[in-house]
Amino acid sequence: MVGYVGKQKKEAAGTVGRKMTDIVIECRNLWKIYGKITAVKDVSLKVKECEIKLIFGPSGSGKSTFLRCLAMLTPPTKGDVFLRGERLTREGVDLNKARARIGFVFQHIWLFRHLTALGNVELALRRVLKLPKWEAREKAMQVLRDVKMEEWAHHYPAQLSGGQQQRVGIARALVRNPDIILLDEPTSALDPELTGEVIDTLRDLAKKGTTMLIVSHEMPFAREVADEMMFFDEGTIVETGPPELFFTNPKSERAKKFMARLIKRTKRE
Amino acid sequence: MDEFQELLLILGVVPTTLSISILSFLLGLAIGIPLAFARAYGSKPVQNLIDVYEKVFRGVPELVLMLLFFYGIGRYIPIPFRNAFFAATFVLGLRSSANQSQIFRGAIRGIGEEQMVAGRSLGLSRIQSILYVMIPQVFIFSTPGLGSEYALLVKDSSYSFVITVVEIMAMTDWIRKATLDTVTPYIIAAPLYILLTFPIATWLDTWGSRKKKQLGL
Repeated sequence: MVGYVGKQKKEAAGTVGRKMTDIVIECRNLWKIYGKITAVKDVSLKVKECEIKLIFGPSGSGKSTFLRCLAMLTPPTKGDVFLRGERLTREGVDLNKARARIGFVFQHIWLFRHLTALGNVELALRRVLKLPKWEAREKAMQVLRDVKMEEWAHHYPAQLSGGQQQRVGIARALVRNPDIILLDEPTSALDPELTGEVIDTLRDLAKKGTTMLIVSHEMPFAREVADEMMFFDEGTIVETGPPELFFTNPKSERAKKFMARLIKRTKRE
Repeated sequence: MDEFQELLLILGVVPTTLSISILSFLLGLAIGIPLAFARAYGSKPVQNLIDVYEKVFRGVPELVLMLLFFYGIGRYIPIPFRNAFFAATFVLGLRSSANQSQIFRGAIRGIGEEQMVAGRSLGLSRIQSILYVMIPQVFIFSTPGLGSEYALLVKDSSYSFVITVVEIMAMTDWIRKATLDTVTPYIIAAPLYILLTFPIATWLDTWGSRKKKQLGL
């Protein structure tokens, strides 16, 4: 399974003429400190073209804050973020332009409630990329089709189920063709029976070679698509390795304990 | 002069009352929206400044302000403050901006930071996020407050008769003096004010409730 997805990804990478060795996003010694609380502690990480990296770890360990720092939605206290080699943590960088190249999917989805599904997906095309109306509409509909939400294009978020909302959220992040998509626990706010459809959507993205950094505890999914997993605890990356490592024999005591709990929970479900 | 003539005279100045109310409402909106966002997202000194502004215009009676602007400031800056219609609309507009700023601020708080963050995550600038994400929702949230604010302005436009604007109140007063009829003019004016306020206020309120229900706000 893992090999199959990997092969597909390489082919997809070839078609857009980018090398899989290209680093899309990188952070070096990233810190985020709120007063006395250190939320993110000296994190360094690289995500390459077409790579899927997955972060997991206990809640409150700073994963979300880290992801937001990486997207420059909150400025990191110390350290650097690079997007395709461009340092975003430098004075005078147009962060709006940089953010436009990073897709972000939120745990609690946060669709614009006054806009339809189509309106949500269209907004950035119209206002950030300044595409003409017809072109924005066409593109937005195409992406909604990709996440199988075409029929619901004219519904407001309140009229959609959680899973449908999150698929629109993914479409909203995807439609600008961002360099990378950061997903912050995209399924954890959903009812268990709705996570499947979102996972299927993410699986499709993985097959197309989308570069992703995902915070998730969907372990079967992680095992299937992730190139690398990172165990995150107390604000920092404790252990990094291929999924198989974590499923068979994690080295750190904390990761071992956490995996044991997760696997127990997954079996119960 | 019979009752019908009195009614016609009063109806004739309804446009003046309506213009003062609507124009001051729009002026309040144009100033109130930026004030609310500056109060919510601005730096501490900016927030304090807006706080003082709101306190002044909500605390000082509009009658005092109108007399001050028309007779006081108008004496030194006759254009435009010596124009009674302008002075009345201006004062009520500023007062309304202080009220509307508070209404909108409540809405901004109700909508929450998340919508703003989601907007920024797409690459929208702060101003764009306010424009395309926040303001449409702020309006829907604010409809009940905006309805009562409009009603308040229609009623308070009656103060402008002390600075010589000929609107419903001034005409009513003039008829009383001319005819010595102390009842009929007021009986005509009172329901007229109700007619001018409630249909619009109620419509705003029901539209807002319907929209809120549809959007799950």
